[in-house]
Amino acid sequence: MNNKARWFYLLPYVLWIGLFVITPILLVVYYSFFDLHGNFTLANYEKLFTFVYMKMIASSFWYAFLITAFCLIIAYPAAYFITKTKYKQLLLLLVILPSWINLLLKAYAFLGIFSTDGAANNFLEAVGIGAQQILFTDFSFVFVSVYIFIPFMLLPIFNALDKLNPALIDASRDLGASAWTTFRKVVFPLTLSGVKSGVQAVFIPALSLFMITRLIAGNRVITLGTAIEQHFLVTQDWGMGSAIAVFLIITMVVIMIVTGTRKRGVQ
Amino acid sequence: MTKEVIIRFDHVTKRYDNDAVVLDHVSFEIERGKFYTLLGPSGCGKTTILRLIAGFTEASEGDIYFNGKRMNNVPANKRQVNTVFQDYALFPHLNVYENVAFGLRIKKVKNSEIDRRVKEALRFVNLSGYEKREITEMSGGQRQRVAIARAIVNEPEVILLDEPLSALDLKLRTEMQYELRDLQKRLGITFIFVTHDQEEALAMSDEIFVLNQGKIQQSGTPTDIYDEPINRFVADFIGESNIVPGKMIRDFEVEFAGKVFECVDQGLNQNESVDIVIRPEDLEITSWNEGKIQVKVDSQLFRGVHYEMICYDEAQNEWLVHSTKKATVGEKIGLNFEPEAIHVMRLGETEEEFDKRLESYQEAGYEQ
Repeated sequence: MNNKARWFYLLPYVLWIGLFVITPILLVVYYSFFDLHGNFTLANYEKLFTFVYMKMIASSFWYAFLITAFCLIIAYPAAYFITKTKYKQLLLLLVILPSWINLLLKAYAFLGIFSTDGAANNFLEAVGIGAQQILFTDFSFVFVSVYIFIPFMLLPIFNALDKLNPALIDASRDLGASAWTTFRKVVFPLTLSGVKSGVQAVFIPALSLFMITRLIAGNRVITLGTAIEQHFLVTQDWGMGSAIAVFLIITMVVIMIVTGTRKRGVQ
Repeated sequence: MTKEVIIRFDHVTKRYDNDAVVLDHVSFEIERGKFYTLLGPSGCGKTTILRLIAGFTEASEGDIYFNGKRMNNVPANKRQVNTVFQDYALFPHLNVYENVAFGLRIKKVKNSEIDRRVKEALRFVNLSGYEKREITEMSGGQRQRVAIARAIVNEPEVILLDEPLSALDLKLRTEMQYELRDLQKRLGITFIFVTHDQEEALAMSDEIFVLNQGKIQQSGTPTDIYDEPINRFVADFIGESNIVPGKMIRDFEVEFAGKVFECVDQGLNQNESVDIVIRPEDLEITSWNEGKIQVKVDSQLFRGVHYEMICYDEAQNEWLVHSTKKATVGEKIGLNFEPEAIHVMRLGETEEEFDKRLESYQEAGYEQ
């Protein structure tokens, strides 16, 4: 009786995981072992280790690293500031609000802002610098990506900072630590779990960004995500696309393990 | 040993957001090597005083002196005081050893010296062998000791304790009271202890400051405060008491409950209205005829060491009596007391006036 009920409640979860997580992964792994003509092969994985693909993987990681780093540099102080204000819930909401808007809409908005006669260039001309090519550059790509990912970095850091017992900061000061030492030895170590969650939430999706690469970076930046998309939709080489996807999945798992939060001493 | 003032508050006022006054022109002196208690109900300003000494908050007005030097603007990390926090505020990411070593590491003390002092501090609080434990593995009482060790290891001149026993159960709390008192004696460091528990204050302190609504109501030794409360608030807050309105007929004669009694107080105006305090344990049960006051027993509780009864006299004044003798509810009995048991409190008397009256006991009519 009890067992039956448990199975009943478990069913939606099992179905979901089976249909939308396990099956697709198995399919991707399966496809990755076939070439364009449907023959079993390991060539896709061999190709992955050629110079062209290694370079693409490296640049993917580099951009993901840049995006994550900028997100962290902006989000940590911002989260710190927000926890110190009176209206922290409101301010947090304002930061999070843009993430509710469709990604595509935001990308198009930036197309307008960064275009040759866009608001950004109008401003640059007004201050005397003159119009620049902003769209389709590395800068615009990283900028828009950071803009999109910031809420995902900020939220876990905010939560970690907000949970931090303020008496610990008093205690540190009381024991002779300056504000900076207190941050280094108490605040940062105790909010590291939030930083790790934020890095996970930004770095992993940033590796597989593809729409922004086309719209904002004009295909000048090729990430793993772009490569997968091209293989599936343009060259129809599903095998190669799957092999890259498998590589991406393995990378994600590794990152999850590396940044996994060790629960130590946090009550 | 000569009396040496280590901390002095000079008309210190603290208010938040320009309206609520938390401390109202508070002045006092703290002498080196004594155990002080700041006692009062929640919101009386006792914790604010502690935070002002520690440097976590700034005074709105007035001066705070430490060893004769004004220290209003000295940041918390440059002050020679350490705090034991109410919730201990131990660092959850560090083990017991590193928690205690925190202050020494910041002062860049040599590793061998740190090791020696941390182990000594832990031995002092009976926690030798717990160095490698995580904070989460420690019980409430043990965390309390770690917090104390973390404070004393820095050898501060003053240790501030912010209701450190309030989270412990009764048995452990009593145990820690003895240990803290003992620790303070052994170390010879000045302790400033904040509590709302009057028994704790009476048991541990050399000197008590009773606070209410941002003002020090009375300061003195536990016996002084218990035996000679200055006003209704102190009498009520420290121990249990019977407070009834009365009138000072002349020196050594006071009227309350419709009768005139002999007392030991003098120096008040003739026919001045006063409050009378008699402690429940000073009232003795006797027969209706032999009693100084005649009352009817309204209810009775067995408290273990004594019976606690509530009685009413003819004027409907309530009398709380602690007696080892038993009475019957509804019975009419007499209450007896010594003249010394009557404590006369002037209405609205300040602490200075009160002290002056106690000291002089000669001239009358100097007030206002």
